[in-house]
Amino acid sequence: MENKIVSPNPHLHSRNSTASLMRDVIIALAPAMLLCVLCYGWSAIMLLALSAGFCVLIEWAIAKWMMRQPSIFCPSAAALTGLLLALNMPPTTPWWTVLIGSIVAIGVAKMSFGGMGQNVFNPAITGRVFLLVSFPQQLTTWDIPRGFISSIDAVSGPTLLMQAKLDGASTVANVDLLKTFILNPGGSMGEISGLALLIGFVYLLCRKVVKPWIPLSIFLTVILVSSIFHLCNPALYTGPVFNLVAGGLILGACFMATDYVTSPMSDWGGVIFGVGLGFIVMMIRYFGSYPEGVSFAILIMNMTVPLIDRAFHRKKYGYGRA
Amino acid sequence: MTGIFLWTVGILAGLGFILALVLFLIAKKFKVEEDPRIDLVEKALPGANCGGCGFAGCHAFADAAVKAPNLDNNFCPVGGNDVMKKVAEILGYEVKQQTPKVAVLRCNGSCENRPRINEYDGVKSCRVKAALYAGDTLCPYGCLGCGDCVAACAFGALSLNPETGLPEVDESKCTACGACTKACPKGLIELRNKGPRSMRVYVCCSNKDKGMFTRKACKAGCIGCGKCAKVCPHGAITVENNLAYIDYTKCKLCKKCVAECPIGAIHAVNFPVLKPKTEEKKEASNE
Amino acid sequence: MSKHTFSIGGIHPQDAKFSRGCATEVLPLPPVVYVSMAQHLGAPAVPCVAPGDKVKVGTVIGEPAGFISAYVHSPVSGTVKTVAPRKDMLGNNVMHVEITVEGDEWEETIDRTPDIITEIPTDRNAVLDKIKMAGVVGLGGATFPTHVKLNPAPGSKADCILINGSECEPYLTSDNRIMIERPSEIIIGAAIMQMVLGGCRCVIAIEDNKPEAIASMKAALVDLGYKNMEIAVLKKKYPQGGEKQLIDAVLKRQVRSGALPISVGAVVQNVATALAVYEAVQKNKPLITNTMTITGDLLPVSGQHNYLFRIGMPLSFIAEQAGGVPEYAAKIVSGGPMMGKAVANLDASAVKGTASLLYLSKEATKRKEEGHCIRCAKCADSCPMGLEPFLINRLYKAGDLAGMEKASAQDCIECGCCQYSCPANIPLVDNLRMAKGQVMAEIKNRRNNGK
Repeated sequence: MENKIVSPNPHLHSRNSTASLMRDVIIALAPAMLLCVLCYGWSAIMLLALSAGFCVLIEWAIAKWMMRQPSIFCPSAAALTGLLLALNMPPTTPWWTVLIGSIVAIGVAKMSFGGMGQNVFNPAITGRVFLLVSFPQQLTTWDIPRGFISSIDAVSGPTLLMQAKLDGASTVANVDLLKTFILNPGGSMGEISGLALLIGFVYLLCRKVVKPWIPLSIFLTVILVSSIFHLCNPALYTGPVFNLVAGGLILGACFMATDYVTSPMSDWGGVIFGVGLGFIVMMIRYFGSYPEGVSFAILIMNMTVPLIDRAFHRKKYGYGRA
Repeated sequence: MTGIFLWTVGILAGLGFILALVLFLIAKKFKVEEDPRIDLVEKALPGANCGGCGFAGCHAFADAAVKAPNLDNNFCPVGGNDVMKKVAEILGYEVKQQTPKVAVLRCNGSCENRPRINEYDGVKSCRVKAALYAGDTLCPYGCLGCGDCVAACAFGALSLNPETGLPEVDESKCTACGACTKACPKGLIELRNKGPRSMRVYVCCSNKDKGMFTRKACKAGCIGCGKCAKVCPHGAITVENNLAYIDYTKCKLCKKCVAECPIGAIHAVNFPVLKPKTEEKKEASNE
Repeated sequence: MSKHTFSIGGIHPQDAKFSRGCATEVLPLPPVVYVSMAQHLGAPAVPCVAPGDKVKVGTVIGEPAGFISAYVHSPVSGTVKTVAPRKDMLGNNVMHVEITVEGDEWEETIDRTPDIITEIPTDRNAVLDKIKMAGVVGLGGATFPTHVKLNPAPGSKADCILINGSECEPYLTSDNRIMIERPSEIIIGAAIMQMVLGGCRCVIAIEDNKPEAIASMKAALVDLGYKNMEIAVLKKKYPQGGEKQLIDAVLKRQVRSGALPISVGAVVQNVATALAVYEAVQKNKPLITNTMTITGDLLPVSGQHNYLFRIGMPLSFIAEQAGGVPEYAAKIVSGGPMMGKAVANLDASAVKGTASLLYLSKEATKRKEEGHCIRCAKCADSCPMGLEPFLINRLYKAGDLAGMEKASAQDCIECGCCQYSCPANIPLVDNLRMAKGQVMAEIKNRRNNGK
């Protein structure tokens, strides 16, 4: 008989693993990705596959040759970053833009901070913002490539948020928001369908992968701020439902802000994080020069997370009720 | 155009000059007076900040050395006698020459000598393993092989041999700072005299169990039979708790104990290998 | 009735109570027993017999050495062969008394009749003395001497005694079996302890995954009709059986850091301890037997057992009686899979606190490679003490003693919830235990120097 194993307690482990958690998030993104493929066709497939592929390759290469720590390479996490990066870009993004974005996302935002678990800024968002600022032409061309479903009634043009920013809130006052929520071609890939993203988010909640506090506080803050401004001047400021549905808020709130590494560790910290995020999104949308503020809001709030973690600790046993 | 250029250069240069003056005055006003000898002593030290002297880094050692009336309690094991001579010169003190020491692992329970009876699956830390149980062999005193000593060494003098499962000391790098001695939860590493020409003799075992239990646990374990103590002409060996121990201040390196030990638990390190006598006779007869 | 539960953290492992239906069987006697002198918390007992002495079942063979110590009695009748150090379950040398078994003769004072004596004695000091002389220790795992726990220092008064029938660890079912098979004796034992503490309230807490035990105990309580005693049903959650969590769940009180449960007026005892108190006080029987579960993740139910064993029986003998150690077993655990100890030496003998032999397969128990912390906070979410294991782990690696104390590393109960939940397989409990030790040593140092 082989030698018996001896170790300290505990002697059991749950079935959670980093890879399984990342896989669950990828599965949650599946409905949205499927719709992207159906609407945008080969462009979407190429974008998603290239982005994920580049991210995995770059992380593997950096872990093996630059950091000499092959254990820090987690393929599912890198693939997830790649998919999220792709979902943040318009479907006609050229392959070299995706490559540069992946290098920035993985190399600069993740690995240079120390790799898995050490980064301060959300890698996918960092990549996206870098591309937005460096290659604004590629990142703001909202053409719709030919998809697999030709019955989609889609016209290339500025996104709803761009319209609201350039021509005022009244021009988007009569848009069918329900239709936009269900299917919204003509924006970045992740804006294709808020409904599909929410279905995925509910899956994550059921599997206990994420907690609802951060997205809830983001949505509630957005509703509060936009309601106040919209009531004051409906011609200038867009309303709450519009702000929830238009743009990448649902993608950002449900999948990017809830990223483990860059969000606070406590529930109350998460609420503060969400409130700050929602507020900054609305300020950029109303008063900033960019039409969409989710990416910047996430990056700014990521910066405050170490401070939030210091301020908000959990309630310990024995320090509450006597 | 030249007007703007001159104004810009002039203002910036002026600002720079004023700020430099301010910094100079502040540096002078808030300067901390420190005995200049502290700096000199610190420069003479090896600068490893290992804590082997008992102080928190080389600067703290220099500080203490300057403030103390003599160098009795201050010795840098890393720098050794050479560095201490320099320090003594700077401060005008006397310093005793100390015999150089080296770290010695008193355990020979390699994978071959000491069979493993279970597989440890916890964190690879000797401290954690020792706190959990008696180890993965039948010897509760022996080396646990997780390398806390290797991690503690600031000079890279220790390395874990994967074949034997035991740490090995590289004499050329060991500075006898004592970090490994503190790190080992079983107290197996001892700082012993390096010996003339690095030769030394020691009992390579720390097992205090009765002889018959030690035999079951490890082929190379000291059984406390006492033959070595009886044969030692210098009274350097004591047997206590079924374990022999050689006092390195009394040992004269005659190696009588090494031959006498039935287990081979006493190790003689760095002795020159003698040619066998039969070969010498043959050579003599050929000439 | 509404179910209680503790308010912070907790996990829901599969409860794996496969052996719940295995009725307790009495083990035959081995040819030799080795009785350990260190079967309790505190100073090991000092042997008071010599080789050649004849002993009967119940003869004192070890006397307490200090305030926190306990008597040890012979579990068999026969001749003392040796009094010498022997390796315990973890390979450490501990003094054992080796007795060659001859027959099964019991001391005359022990009442071996099956009658259940329901009358509760009233002399508190006499009862405490009986509990002490019988060597009764806590059988919930910590083995703290019961006579010390039931005698709080002057100035502390208990207003409630909690009888812990939660058995929250997966796989274990011995407490479940004694609640089904011997409920009256447990309740009488609890009543005796109630009397010793001055007539306080008594709550018997049982987790809701034991419906037969709840029914059995409720029926017995109705029959006996004791006052001021009730049964509380708890939601199944690990570690409900921890005494701090139990007090939080049932009494809605929380024990301060570093303080004992008596500081909030509570005393917690396991159901098996209550049974041992009954046997000691009503039957004059010292603590020489206990119940243990033989179970495993890949063991068929027909191969699983609950045994009434005697202390001193070698674990290898018990394993043989149960059908031998199965081929698949990569690790043998004594106790539950979350807080129990892995057996390094199966030749060691069973002690008062032995609760099980749990055979775990390699798939269930071999640790996976340690990854990098992904800051998911699952450890902090599951910690029943409200600590942040990821933080204490980081501070321990950095050697920050002050930081670890501020993060309350000394409050860790080593339940294993954090490591169980960690997706990166970080050995949190290993490091937290070290951190806790360092902080507690520092606190002790400060207290000693302050004086």
